[in-house]
Amino acid sequence: MGEPVNSTLRRSRGRPLAVATCGLLVAAAVAGCSSGPAGPPVLNFYTPADNATGYAAGAEACTEAANGRYVVTQQTLPKAADDQRLQLARRLVAGDSEVDLVAMDVTWTAEFAEAGWIEPWPEQAAAAIEQGTLEGPLETARYQGQLWAAPLNTNTQLLWYRTDLAPQPPQTWDEMIQMSEALHDQGLPSYIEVQAAQYEGISVWFNTLLTSAGGQLVSENGDVLVDDGDAARKATSIMQRVGSSPAGDPSLSVAQENDGRLQMEAGLAAFQVNYPFVNASINTPPPDGGGGGTFIDEQGRPTAEDTGRRVVDVFAWAPYPRVDPDKPATVTIGGLNIGVSTTGGNQDLAFEAAQCLRNRENQLTNATEGGVPPTLSELYDDPAFQAEYPAWEAIRDSLESASVRPKTPAYTSISIVLADLLNPPAQIDPDTIVPRMATEVERAVNSEGLVP
Amino acid sequence: MTAASTAPAAEVETSPRGPKHRGKPPLSEGARAERKLAFLLCAPAVIIMVAVTAYPIAYAIWLSLQRYDLRFPADRAFAGLSNYVAVLTSGYWWSAFGITLLITVISVAIEFVLGLALALVMHRTILGRGLTRTVVLIPYGIVTVVAAFSWQFAWTPDIGYLANMLAEGSAPLTGQASAIVLIIIAEVWKTTPFMALLLLAGLALVPDDLLKAAQVDGAGPWQRLTQIMLPMMKPAILVALLFRTLDAFRIFDNIYILTGGSNGTGSVSMLGYNNLFRAFNLGIGSAISVLIFISVGLIAFIFIKLFGAAAPGSETEGRR
Amino acid sequence: MAVATTGSAKSKWAVANTLVLIYALVPVLWIVSLSFKPASTITDGNFIPREWTLENYTQVFGVSLFTSALINSIGIAIIATVLSVVIGTMAAYAIARLRFPGKGLLVGISLLIAMFPPISLVSPLFDIERALGLFDTWPGLILPYITFSLPLAIYTLSAFFREIPWELEKAAKMDGATPLQAFRSVIVPLAAPGVFTTAILVFIFCWNDFLFALSLTSTERSQTATVAIANFTGASEFAEPTGSIAAAAVLLTIPIIIFVFFFQRRIVAGLTSGAVKG
Repeated sequence: MGEPVNSTLRRSRGRPLAVATCGLLVAAAVAGCSSGPAGPPVLNFYTPADNATGYAAGAEACTEAANGRYVVTQQTLPKAADDQRLQLARRLVAGDSEVDLVAMDVTWTAEFAEAGWIEPWPEQAAAAIEQGTLEGPLETARYQGQLWAAPLNTNTQLLWYRTDLAPQPPQTWDEMIQMSEALHDQGLPSYIEVQAAQYEGISVWFNTLLTSAGGQLVSENGDVLVDDGDAARKATSIMQRVGSSPAGDPSLSVAQENDGRLQMEAGLAAFQVNYPFVNASINTPPPDGGGGGTFIDEQGRPTAEDTGRRVVDVFAWAPYPRVDPDKPATVTIGGLNIGVSTTGGNQDLAFEAAQCLRNRENQLTNATEGGVPPTLSELYDDPAFQAEYPAWEAIRDSLESASVRPKTPAYTSISIVLADLLNPPAQIDPDTIVPRMATEVERAVNSEGLVP
Repeated sequence: MTAASTAPAAEVETSPRGPKHRGKPPLSEGARAERKLAFLLCAPAVIIMVAVTAYPIAYAIWLSLQRYDLRFPADRAFAGLSNYVAVLTSGYWWSAFGITLLITVISVAIEFVLGLALALVMHRTILGRGLTRTVVLIPYGIVTVVAAFSWQFAWTPDIGYLANMLAEGSAPLTGQASAIVLIIIAEVWKTTPFMALLLLAGLALVPDDLLKAAQVDGAGPWQRLTQIMLPMMKPAILVALLFRTLDAFRIFDNIYILTGGSNGTGSVSMLGYNNLFRAFNLGIGSAISVLIFISVGLIAFIFIKLFGAAAPGSETEGRR
Repeated sequence: MAVATTGSAKSKWAVANTLVLIYALVPVLWIVSLSFKPASTITDGNFIPREWTLENYTQVFGVSLFTSALINSIGIAIIATVLSVVIGTMAAYAIARLRFPGKGLLVGISLLIAMFPPISLVSPLFDIERALGLFDTWPGLILPYITFSLPLAIYTLSAFFREIPWELEKAAKMDGATPLQAFRSVIVPLAAPGVFTTAILVFIFCWNDFLFALSLTSTERSQTATVAIANFTGASEFAEPTGSIAAAAVLLTIPIIIFVFFFQRRIVAGLTSGAVKG
């Protein structure tokens, strides 16, 4: 296809020719759009690159199930959430009629709804979605009293720890920090791994700690509540202590999900708060997974020698550590929701296809093959799912007490501001950061001024 | 061949006189033909550059005068210069500006010294010169994003060979000062060959005979460099410095991959990117873009007016 | 014959050359090394792999998108380079040699474009290309590449052209050569090195681009290799794509090396002894 392009361009030295070329190209594009046989309408389903094959399989299954009424085609977006959001936004703002279904991060609901990029779900379809779906994931799809998306999959964090270093898992962050420092004093692996790099992960950490301490960042009406009470102070001082602990990981301020997993598999970490994929990884042989982690000696130190004992042999999970010893932690919920775009032409069919794409079979496939926990509560009782997720009970419990990130169109700005203020965690001053945070978050909510 | 090698050198000296003789009569037929030819030759370049960029640039400037956030389409309104006020009174802008300036000045200075050395080696070496020159082009040719990944992997504790050479437990990408040093290293490594190429072009214009004559007259290597080569290379040097400074001031890829702008390492381009493409605030983001543009314009102005860098055409005009 | 060399000078240059080689090659060899490491040892921090494997390469070509992306990258970069250098040469010749009004304006426009931050132009360009049907096509990338490499091409070429002793052309004509002969036998050899250097700079600019390719393409019709790499995912959810990225990086570097070798003779003959020494 390079040749014709090449020759048209080469001729187009003057203005009339250039215009003619553009005209031809437009004509070709229009013809390309309309010349297809009058088959069933094609619904384009945009998904993240991770597990793209799984979503494509779902699209195929739904096309088959539709029996010729519509065709669902999966389209892959970039790997990073920010890039996915940017590409979708560009297309939707430009009114791209080829965007029908979008797999949205749970934090985009308010933004896409307010900007007029996605349709609210009609009552009947909404009721069908609400039936049997876990409350936490459902909450992320609601905005201003309406359902804007269908929860496709979800995610939550647990505490993963080493039983040889901590026979009893810590109940609270205080306890975990003390245990870590005691291990460090004995010269044993002591790192606490958590997502503390300057990105969404550190905002998630803060949101979990804040809500666990009884606080809230922003209400759904856009009122900034972060400086109400002392929850934010408690949350930031935990972050500061973890970040500056001599027992901590020196790279903590650039650590993301995978860094924590790798440090644990390398035998250097005693604790990590992370998503369930770390369990799948350590139990998967290389090159796909960590292959059980490194060998460890009698005391639990990593060693290159074949001691017959690996990290996986002492690897266990527990509920996310509490802030308040009397209240379970409220872990920030993740995952994807399917939205129906306002720019595609076949909304009715799109609502139908969305329900199919998240049905029981497709969610189970995504969970067992793609490693993403489902949003239908009955699947947690399914043996196939339980086999894939040994921690399924802890995951379900964690999802039931989950917290949702602020439902405001400006969430991304809030997150950028928070990440900038909280990173590096070692340099947080809990006494001065909260009022600053309130000011900056207030400006971000109202889209005033810059984000860093 | 040898005759040719001396003749042009003499011509270069006298060339300013050449054009002066031509085109004295104001609008002779020759001048008109020359003008017509010039227009024909420039037309494709002008048409394509204007066609592709005029609307986007005008649009960016227009956006910078509005309150326009994609997430709040209903709030769109003309805002005058308030976006500029917001940017220029923001601490985020000035800290990013300072970091950018620091990275620009240090990396361009290092690049110049290294690039000159590299150019001299490429120019003078006899042993394996083909290999040297080819190899030097590799850092320049390699995709920036990929080179940045190479450095990032190299500096990551446990994974990287460089990190393993440092003291146990140090993570150089996590401190502000050390991270900036690493960003500068990555930037210098990648772009020094560009500088060297442009300087090499300048070196080629220094006649060997002049250097030999100077050598016979007893000038040492340092004197030959500073008294003969550098002055003769001045146009090439200024072109190289100008291009690299303009480029370095807009540094983005390396920072994006290496630190993501954390620990106070964000440049003005990172700031613009975050406001445009993450916060979706087109008004503020465009104002930042225009301010970067103005800063870069000032840098170019300083180079051209104060140091006499040759904007194409301006020098010939001056000679006439 | 240019410079007399003694044994000690030779060894000094040998040292200098070695330093240059180390400087240029170590970070590249590091990527090469990473690309040959199996996933089990990719985090061992060894500069030289302890085990060698080709699995990263087979994985890269297993991604069907990458092969087409490589073809797109090559085709788009070459077309854009040829067009940009041709158009740039014409303009640069006019700037360096001819008198005409509006020269300052042309210089101003090209400087303006060279200076404007590309990130702010991407969104409007996206809108225009969608409206014209150029989005996700080869011309959709070639046009911006030409545009944004033209300032570089014009600037570099006109700097070259200004230093060419055009009087030689006149001398050749006096010796009885026709204008075309004079141009071909005197000016072209003098100008060619500058044109080739410029072509290399422009090609590398196009090859390197990430931002435009990311924003103005979406499918295998026109997506380039830099974007394909950025979209790499690991073999499984928790496998970091480090090895694949490294392998793809090496593949992306190979054309550059071939290209440089291909034009190496021209550059050597031209840049160093060409323009002035003939």
